[in-house]
Amino acid sequence: MSATGKLQPEPYETARAFCITSAFWMVVATFMGLLGATELIAPDIVRIGWLHFGRIRPVHVNLVLFGFVTPGLLGAVFYFVPRLLRTELYSERLGLVTAGFWNIALVAAVSTLLAGATQGREYAEMIWPVDLLVVMVFILVFINLIMTVARRREPLLYVSVWYACAAIALTGATYVLGNVVWVPDTGSLVGIPDAILLWFYGHNIFGLLLTPLSLGVAYYVIPKACRNPLYSHTLSLVGFWSLFVVYTHIGTHHLLQVPVPTWLKVISIVDSIGMVIPVMVVLINLWYTAQGRLGEIHADVGAKFVFTGTIMYFFASIQGSMMALPQVQRVTHFNNWVVGHAHIGVLAFSGMIALGGLYFVLPRIAGRPLHSRLLADLQYWLVLLGSAGFAVVLTIVGLIQGQAWLNGETVYRVLPSLYPYYVLRASLGAILFSSAVIGFYNVFRTLYGQRGAAA
Amino acid sequence: MKMTPRAVVIGSLTILAAVVFVTIWVPWVTRQTTPSEIYRERTELEAAGRRLYIANGCVYCHTQSIRTIDWGMGAERIARVGDYIADRPILLGSSRTGPDLSQEGGEHPDDWHLAHFINPRYTRPNSIMPPFAFLGTEKIDTLTAYIQGLGMQQADRRMARQRRWKNEAVRAYEAGPEANVAWLNQHVPQGWRDLPNPYPTSPAGLARGRKLYQDFCLGCHGPVGDGVGPVQPWIYPPPLNFTVLKGRETSGGILYYQIMNGITGTAMPYFKKDLESEKIWDVGNYVAEYFIDQSDANTEPRGIDAAYEP
Ligand code: HEC
Ligand code: HEC
Ligand code: HEM
Repeated sequence: MSATGKLQPEPYETARAFCITSAFWMVVATFMGLLGATELIAPDIVRIGWLHFGRIRPVHVNLVLFGFVTPGLLGAVFYFVPRLLRTELYSERLGLVTAGFWNIALVAAVSTLLAGATQGREYAEMIWPVDLLVVMVFILVFINLIMTVARRREPLLYVSVWYACAAIALTGATYVLGNVVWVPDTGSLVGIPDAILLWFYGHNIFGLLLTPLSLGVAYYVIPKACRNPLYSHTLSLVGFWSLFVVYTHIGTHHLLQVPVPTWLKVISIVDSIGMVIPVMVVLINLWYTAQGRLGEIHADVGAKFVFTGTIMYFFASIQGSMMALPQVQRVTHFNNWVVGHAHIGVLAFSGMIALGGLYFVLPRIAGRPLHSRLLADLQYWLVLLGSAGFAVVLTIVGLIQGQAWLNGETVYRVLPSLYPYYVLRASLGAILFSSAVIGFYNVFRTLYGQRGAAA
Repeated sequence: MKMTPRAVVIGSLTILAAVVFVTIWVPWVTRQTTPSEIYRERTELEAAGRRLYIANGCVYCHTQSIRTIDWGMGAERIARVGDYIADRPILLGSSRTGPDLSQEGGEHPDDWHLAHFINPRYTRPNSIMPPFAFLGTEKIDTLTAYIQGLGMQQADRRMARQRRWKNEAVRAYEAGPEANVAWLNQHVPQGWRDLPNPYPTSPAGLARGRKLYQDFCLGCHGPVGDGVGPVQPWIYPPPLNFTVLKGRETSGGILYYQIMNGITGTAMPYFKKDLESEKIWDVGNYVAEYFIDQSDANTEPRGIDAAYEP
C-alpha cells in the first residue's frame, strides 16, 4: 500500500485499500466477462483447459460480486461510518489486514476456480478453505465496524450505518449457511432442499449484501451532495426493516418450475410483488431528498453515479417483481433475459453505486481532487452505455430463446439467430472492460500519483 | 423507534433466523425422500464423471430440470422430487445455453459423445459448446459414463438398445458396403422403402437442402458426402459414404425415414426434433442429387400433386 513506512497508518488507509482493491478487480472481472462473451461467439478461440467458458463464468461472477462491487461499497463505508459517528475507525491497522486478507481470498478464489476446484453451486462455488477466508474477512469487517460504533461520539446512528452493520452481519451468517460450511467436501445439502437453500443464499447475496450496502452509500451520498436533510426518518425505518423481512424469504422465485413445495412458491411469488414496498419507500425517500437539487447531483461525478444507480434499482426491482410471475417465467426462465436482469441489478444498480461511492469519497480520502474528472465522466458514460446496452441486447436474446422454445424449437436450432446479439454483447463487454481500465488508472493516479502532479 | 446498534444487529439477525426457520428448516424436515420410479443409484464411475461435470462448469450451460412446458429432449418425463434424492449438490442449472440433459443417457452411443466432447463442432456444426479435448480420452470416457446414466432407469433401457444395435451395425459395416447397405435399408418399414420423394427437385429446394446439410450433417458425412468429416477418426462404424448408396435401391422414403429416426447403435442421430417434414425431404433430396447422384424425386407412385408445386 502506501510507501510512507510510518508505523501508524494514515486516516482512511482502509478506505483507500478497499477503493484500489475494487478498481483493480473490476478490471479482472470485466475481462473475464469479455472473454466469456467472446467464447460464446468463437468457441474454439481458447484451447487452454482452465480458460474455457465453464471455468471462467464462475470467476467472472464471483469477482464482480466480491472483487469489484462489495469492496467498492466498503471503501465508501469505511469512510462514512467514522465520519457519521464523529470518531475514527476502530483500527486502521485491522482494516488494512482485512483488505490484505480480502485480496488473498480473491486470489485463492480465482486460482481454485480456474483449476476446476469448485463446489458447482451458483454463487457458492468456492471451496471450503476459501469459504473460511471469506467468512473470516466478513468477521473482521464486522468487528471493525461495530467497535467503531461502540466508540462513537455521535449518539444517533444514521441510516447508512444501520445498513452497513446489518449487511455485514447478515451476509456473514447467510454465507455460512448458504455454503453449508459444516460439510467441507461438497458444501451442499442433498436433493431439492439443496436447491432451496442455494437460492435462498444466492438471492440474499443481492438482497442482504449488495442492496443494503448500496442503499447505505446512496443514503450517505445523496443528502450530502445536494446539501439537503433526508426527506423522512420514518420512511428510512420502514424501508430498512421491510427490506430484510421481505427480501430474505423470496429466494424460491428462482425455482418456480421445479418440484418444490407449492406453499413456498406461493409465498415467494406474492412477496416478490410485495418487494415494491421496500423498494419504493427507499426510492421515494432518496428522490424527495434530491428534489429540486439535481444540479448539485450532476455537479459531482460520484453523486451522479449514485443517483443513476438508484434509478437502475427501480428498473431492476420492478422487472424482478414481474419476473416472479409464473406466466412471465414461461418465457423468461432459463435464458438470457435473466442474465440481462442480473446485469441491471448488479452492474447498473449496485456497480454504479459502488463506483459512485468510490468517486465521492476518493478526493476526501486522498486529500486532493480526482486525478481526472474527465476520465471519471467518461467512465460514467461507458458504464451507462454498456449496462443499458446489455439490458436491451440480453432481453432481446432472452425473448428469442424463450419464445422459440415455447413453440417447440430445439436449443440447437435457435443458436444461429442469437449470434448477432452475442457479437453485440461482446462489444458491450469490450466497452465495459475499457471503462474499468480507465477507472483503475484514475483511481490509482488519484491515490498514489505524484503529489501536485495531477491535472 | 430508536435505532441502537443492538436493535439493528440483533433485530435483523432475528428476522433472518425466523425466515430460515420457515423457508429452509421446514422444507428440510418435511422433505420427500422416497425415490421416484426411474431412480437408481449411480455407479462409482458415474459419480467420478459427475465430479468432472461439476469441475468443468457444465452446469452453467446445461439444466437438469424438465418442466411441464418443455418440448425438447426429455420432455416425456417431467422432473419429480424423487429423481434428485441422491444429488449432492443438486445440479438443476439456471441457463439453457445448451439443451437440458436430464434424459440424455442413451440418446447417443458413446462414440458420438467422444467425438462431441473432442470438439462439439464435429457432430454439431453450429454448436457453441467449448471443446473438451484437453481432458484427454480417459476423462472424457468417465464423463460420458455419467452422461449416459442421466435419466437413470430410462437411460439404462436406452443404453441397452444402443449396445445391442451397435454390435449389429459393426458386424454389418465390416461385412462390406453391399451387406451394410442391405442391413441399413432392411430395417426401414416396407411402406417407406417403396416411397419416392414426392416433391420435384427445384433450385430452391436444393438450396434449402444445402443449408440444412451444412448446419446438421457436414461434420460427419463430410463436405463432399464421402463420410470423412472431422468426426471420422472418432466414431465406429464411421459416417456413411453416400456414394455406396448408388444403385442399391435407396428410395427417397428410406432417406427420409433414416434422417427422421436416426440409426440406433450408430452415431447417426435422429432429426425429428430439429427438422420439420419439408426440411427432411429437402436435405434428403440434396444428398440424393449431389452425393448419391441418383434421385427419385417426383417419380411414380405419386398420388395427387400438392396444391402448391411449380
Ligand atoms: C458454453 C456453454 C456450454 C458448456 C460450458 C457446455 N456445454 Fe454442452 N452444449 C452446449 C450447447 C450450445 C449444446 C448444443 C449443441 C451441441 O450439441 O453441441 C450442447 C450440447 C451438449 C450435449 C449434447 C446434447 C444432445 O444430445 O444434443 C451434451 C451431452 C453436452 N452438451 C454435455 C456437456 C458437458 C458434459 C459439459 C461439461 C463438460 C458441457 N456440455 C459444457 C453448451 C455448453
Ligand atoms: C454424428 C455423425 C452423423 C451426423 C451428424 C449425421 N450422420 Fe448420417 N450417418 C452417420 C452414421 C455413423 C451412419 C451409419 C453408418 C453405418 O452404419 O454404416 C449414417 C447413416 C446415414 C444415412 C443412412 C442411409 C441408409 O441407406 O440407410 C443417411 C441417409 C444419413 N446418414 C443422412 C444424414 C443426414 C441427411 C444428416 C444431416 C441431417 C446426417 N446423416 C447427419 C453419422 C452421422
Ligand atoms: C427487488 C426486487 C427483485 C425481484 C422481485 C427479483 C426477482 C428475480 C427473479 C424472479 C429472478 C429469477 C429469474 C428466473 O430464473 O427466471 C431473479 C434473478 C436474478 N436477480 Fe433479481 N429481483 C429483484 C431485484 C434484484 C436486484 C436489486 C439485483 C441485484 C442487486 C438482482 C439480481 C439478480 C440476479 C443476479 C439474478 C440471476 C440469478 C441467476 O443466476 O439465475 N435482482 N430476480
